[in-house]
Amino acid sequence: MNDQLVSMITQLVMEKMEKSTGSQTPEIAATPTEQPLIKFYDTVENRSSGTTEAIATSQEPLIQLYQHGAPQQVTTVTSATFEQPVNDAVPIKPFQFEAGSLSESVQAAKKHTPARIGVGRAGTRPKTKTWLKFRLDHAAAVDAVYGEVTEDLLQKLDVFQVTTKVTDKEEYITRPDLGRRLSEESKALIQQKCKPQPKVQIIISNGLSASAIEENVQDVYLALQQSLSNLNIDIGTTFYIDKGRVALMDEIGELLQAEVIVYLIGERPGLVSAESMSAYLCYKPRIGTVEAERMVISNIHKGGIPPLEAGAYLGTVVEKILRYQASGVELVAKEG
Amino acid sequence: MKTEKIFSAGIDIGTSTTKMVVSSFLLKNVAGVTHVPRIEIIEKTVLHQSPIIRTPFINKDIIDMKKIEEFISQQYQLAQIAPSDIATGAIIITGESATKENASEVVHTIADGAGHFLVATAGPDLEGIIAAKGAGTLQQSKNSSKVIANIDIGGGTANIAVMQFGEVIGTCTLHVGGRLIEFKDGKIQSISPPLMRLMERWTNPLAVGDAAEDIRVTHCIEEMVQTLAMILHGQCRDEKHPLLLGHLPNWHKPVDAIVFTGGVASCIYENECTQRQYDDIGEKLAKMLLQHEQLQSFLWLRPEETARATVTGAGTQTTEISGATIQVDAQVLPLKNVPVFNCHLDPSTDFNSTVRTAVERANDLFSIQDNRSPFALYFSELPYLSFQDVHALCQAILLHLATRCSKDIPIIIVIQSDYAKIIGQTIQAINATVPIICIDQIKVETGDYIDIGEVLPSGVVPVVVKTLAFHSK
Repeated sequence: MNDQLVSMITQLVMEKMEKSTGSQTPEIAATPTEQPLIKFYDTVENRSSGTTEAIATSQEPLIQLYQHGAPQQVTTVTSATFEQPVNDAVPIKPFQFEAGSLSESVQAAKKHTPARIGVGRAGTRPKTKTWLKFRLDHAAAVDAVYGEVTEDLLQKLDVFQVTTKVTDKEEYITRPDLGRRLSEESKALIQQKCKPQPKVQIIISNGLSASAIEENVQDVYLALQQSLSNLNIDIGTTFYIDKGRVALMDEIGELLQAEVIVYLIGERPGLVSAESMSAYLCYKPRIGTVEAERMVISNIHKGGIPPLEAGAYLGTVVEKILRYQASGVELVAKEG
Repeated sequence: MKTEKIFSAGIDIGTSTTKMVVSSFLLKNVAGVTHVPRIEIIEKTVLHQSPIIRTPFINKDIIDMKKIEEFISQQYQLAQIAPSDIATGAIIITGESATKENASEVVHTIADGAGHFLVATAGPDLEGIIAAKGAGTLQQSKNSSKVIANIDIGGGTANIAVMQFGEVIGTCTLHVGGRLIEFKDGKIQSISPPLMRLMERWTNPLAVGDAAEDIRVTHCIEEMVQTLAMILHGQCRDEKHPLLLGHLPNWHKPVDAIVFTGGVASCIYENECTQRQYDDIGEKLAKMLLQHEQLQSFLWLRPEETARATVTGAGTQTTEISGATIQVDAQVLPLKNVPVFNCHLDPSTDFNSTVRTAVERANDLFSIQDNRSPFALYFSELPYLSFQDVHALCQAILLHLATRCSKDIPIIIVIQSDYAKIIGQTIQAINATVPIICIDQIKVETGDYIDIGEVLPSGVVPVVVKTLAFHSK
């Protein structure tokens, strides 16, 4: 199944769950396709068999959702006469989500964290709503890794694109070393197009989250540009790297002899946000630069450090790096 | 990690007593290394507590400012700190002292003379909140879901602040205090005007010269406590109640627990009444509070401070630290007594007209005749802004504010959310010459005043949000 379909189905299921009123008749979820993708059954079928058989053929919906009966189905040992099923009299009700009844304290605590607290439980497991939300967030994270930055955005930013030695996403994930080296054509392209020996070289890469770049890079980049221009600091020729790793900045630093590199890259997505971006900075990164000389401002997204404010702040960090001619641990030492 | 230390002073000029504290704050970047810095006060230490002295008066209506100034300089000597070292803090004039003829002059003069950056404050609502903070009640409310009322009863007024989950949800002030009736040689020497108004309903009101043991004195105290109980239970609807100062209670949840602070409270919790050298109704009021039936349904909590709650609050709880990414023109700081106007940015209307209306209304409110005084434009609840939005907003701000600003009147912008650096920077990019103060992560309201201190080494500024309401008699 493709990504869009998965997210569409999940959304549909969640919408259905959230409806507080439901009818007794089976409902067919409306989808744009001719053949319904999902069917909901509100009544319990095949009760005796206990299992449902969903055979997906081209004629049948892809997913079938059954509303199982209430916990009354469980017979207690004391009253059990095994010939008579006790749940015959239980009327079958349409599905309804329990209304959330959070105490004021839990509501107050929820304001302070995006974590999944106060979600309740069903036996030893999370509730369906929580579980679906979790699946949705997980799917978004996967999408972020496998997604691509649109051509449209690169045009808006007016940047050209280069590649690393990586050929596809699987290789990108399994071979970090290849993501740290430019392809031969890219080296030539950079040398041909970029201003040599720039004071500040800005580079952008999708890294592990294309959505992070899609959502945040424009505001961060424009704010950073403005900040550096206010501080009278020259910027080199910005470009975009497909499937780059952080340490790739060493090779680019070497190639262009840049003084400071600011590297905007998508972070490994999590379940709170799949759109978080980092800005790595380094003074004179060259082949062999150690990690202690790099510094990072992470968690740049709408729910973390606001992209605009991050961009403006990055300008002052660049200024500091240039003033002390150091970054990372050495900068902290020099600052005293 | 590096820390920096600043000194703070707090002075409380109350109806019957005046006191002072000197404390030190430790500031530190509490954000992780991969984050934008966030500077917070991580430690507060009280270095010196003055004795509690009687507020000196020249006559009934004039405070003896000279004596207070002498007292303050004496306390600085004892604390071994020079006034010029005081980087922040507040002086508050409370209770009936705030109604005296020279109340405003006294706080402003002392604020200017008694510390490098000391802030003048006044206002019954602020008093209640500062006392609740100083007594640790606000902190206590974070630990439970209970709605707690802190009742600060001094000589002249009872200032109620109600809070839950560490946030103030309402305030109310009453003319209930230990000094509303004073005795001399076993006779009534004075009765405060609100009490006279209260007794107008009586057939046989008390008068100056009546015996101190008169049963009507007890009736009077009973009625004060009764009013307090009704207010706390949310049963008082009479806006014109003679004991009410200002507005009716504005909290919407029932109060669960109560805490008493202020001079009268020291008789409630500490049994120190024998030490009280004041010949007034304070002691009887405390006893009545302890006994009153309608107050027994509340849970009684203990404060960390009683008589010194307000001064501790003024000295340790009034200073806030701005966000770390801000844009400030260091030359125009410090700024004092800047009124705030809330500019609510509605995404559906354009920035230009919103800013224009806000600037016009603020001009009407704060400028006296043609004399333009600075004010701060406050943006609460900004929607998510893109770079283009910020640019449009800054152009609107410059269009309407650049003409009225000068070296003495910078553009002052206060933002609730984290946008100060980008807005300040964009204004500078458009017009590099206007002086600008743009700070964020501060919560204020129209009607508040804001004082902004000098830039600290870590790049942040101390900020005091306050009111300046000298209520009349």
